[in-house]
Amino acid sequence: MHGQRDAMQGGAAHDERPVRVWDVPVRLFHWALAGFFAFQFWSGETGGNAMQWHLYAGYGVLSLVLFRILWGFFGSTYARFASFARGPAACLRYARQLFSRRPVPSLGHNPLGGWMVLAMLGALALQTVTGLFANDQIATQGPLADLVSDAWSDRLSSVHAWNFYVLLGLVSLHIVAVLYYRLVKGQNLIGPMFSGVKRVPAKLAESAAPRPGGAWRALIVFAAALLAVYLVVQRPF
Amino acid sequence: MTKKNLALNLLAAASAACFAASALAQHKPEDLVKHRQAAMSLMGWYFGPIGAMVNNKMPFDAKLAARNAGYLVTLSRMPLEGFDPSTSGAKNTKAKDKIYLEMDKFKRHMEKMQTEVDKLDKAAQTGNEADIKVAFGNAAKSCKSCHDDFRAK
Ligand code: HEC
Ligand code: HEM
Repeated sequence: MHGQRDAMQGGAAHDERPVRVWDVPVRLFHWALAGFFAFQFWSGETGGNAMQWHLYAGYGVLSLVLFRILWGFFGSTYARFASFARGPAACLRYARQLFSRRPVPSLGHNPLGGWMVLAMLGALALQTVTGLFANDQIATQGPLADLVSDAWSDRLSSVHAWNFYVLLGLVSLHIVAVLYYRLVKGQNLIGPMFSGVKRVPAKLAESAAPRPGGAWRALIVFAAALLAVYLVVQRPF
Repeated sequence: MTKKNLALNLLAAASAACFAASALAQHKPEDLVKHRQAAMSLMGWYFGPIGAMVNNKMPFDAKLAARNAGYLVTLSRMPLEGFDPSTSGAKNTKAKDKIYLEMDKFKRHMEKMQTEVDKLDKAAQTGNEADIKVAFGNAAKSCKSCHDDFRAK
């Protein structure tokens, strides 16, 4: 099927070049988050003694989300928000060909995918922050629930419960979109999230400017995120 | 006893019965709501520390666990009578009105919770922390499954 499409494009495959688009931190973040999300789904719905693990894993998700937000400013080229938060004109132009079978490759995120990433990160930030203040009326409360009134803790618990469905919707759309690209547009987006390398037409590859974020910088940013979460959760001062 | 006396007595008895029945039904919906929320709050009050103990958020105290679980056995029998159809549409409540359409299911949730609380009490009387943890988890799940179905988020 892939070969057929390549043939249709007159041997485009020959002019494709590999470009390293996703750095190691982005890939680790992505797959760790997917695992944590599934676990939070399960533990939140199960309740009972799983709730304690929901909180522990919640601190993990919070650290990941915080890391990713920071990495959107300090990370490698295609990890930065500035590289994929595109204006309405670019989004509209891109949207117009979305339903054609012809692939339109992008180096990092495509304009719509970029906004999808921002939407998911925003919803995740809301989910994790409300979780800190939530209570389940049974025996579990987030580590900051005691800082707000019961009425506010209950309100934020409702947001936590409803926003979960928003997240579930976004994640489903995310997965459907990736499958759509693979099956209809013949673009493999899944492979690069493992290998970090995307094959794009030579002309596009020439315009690439992958600047690595650097392992040390990633470690420092991640340590900062962990420390921030530790301080918020433990409130040692 | 004359016929007239019998009739009077019957009348008195009947009106007493009516009065007793209406006295029960006379609770204002807002008081019924207060009653059941108070019962639930107390359950939460005595349930919470057991959870904190078995999840290492406070030191294990077998005596406190046994006392609280004992209270819970009695408390778990209380909330049901606050869920009267007269409270449907009441203000300041998170109870869903569908409770009164699905009373059998609601009662099954109550009974399940009572069974789990009884088991928690049994475990707490032995003082074995591992057993208490298992029983606590199951009881907490029985609270949650009713809240998921019948308590608005
Ligand atoms: C059969 C259903 C059912 C079960 C079982 C149940 N609950 Fe509830 N609970 C409710 C409903 C319905 C409400 C909402 C009551 C209202 O707002 O009028 C509620 C409310 C509460 C509240 C809030 C009270 C308030 O102040 O508004 C707490 C706390 C609570 N439940 C704790 C528990 C605990 C702890 C358990 C298990 C030991 C439990 N519940 C088991 C149905 C249930
Ligand atoms: C990806 C992140 C998260 C997801 C997907 C998630 C999901 C869920 C779900 C599905 C529930 C059950 C809600 C319900 O009963 O309807 C829940 C409850 C809860 N979560 Fe999270 N959660 C996340 C992060 C967190 C974090 C970071 C914390 C706190 C540190 C937290 C604390 C809580 C608490 C206290 C509850 C009980 C409140 C309630 O049942 O309404 N969660 N979560």
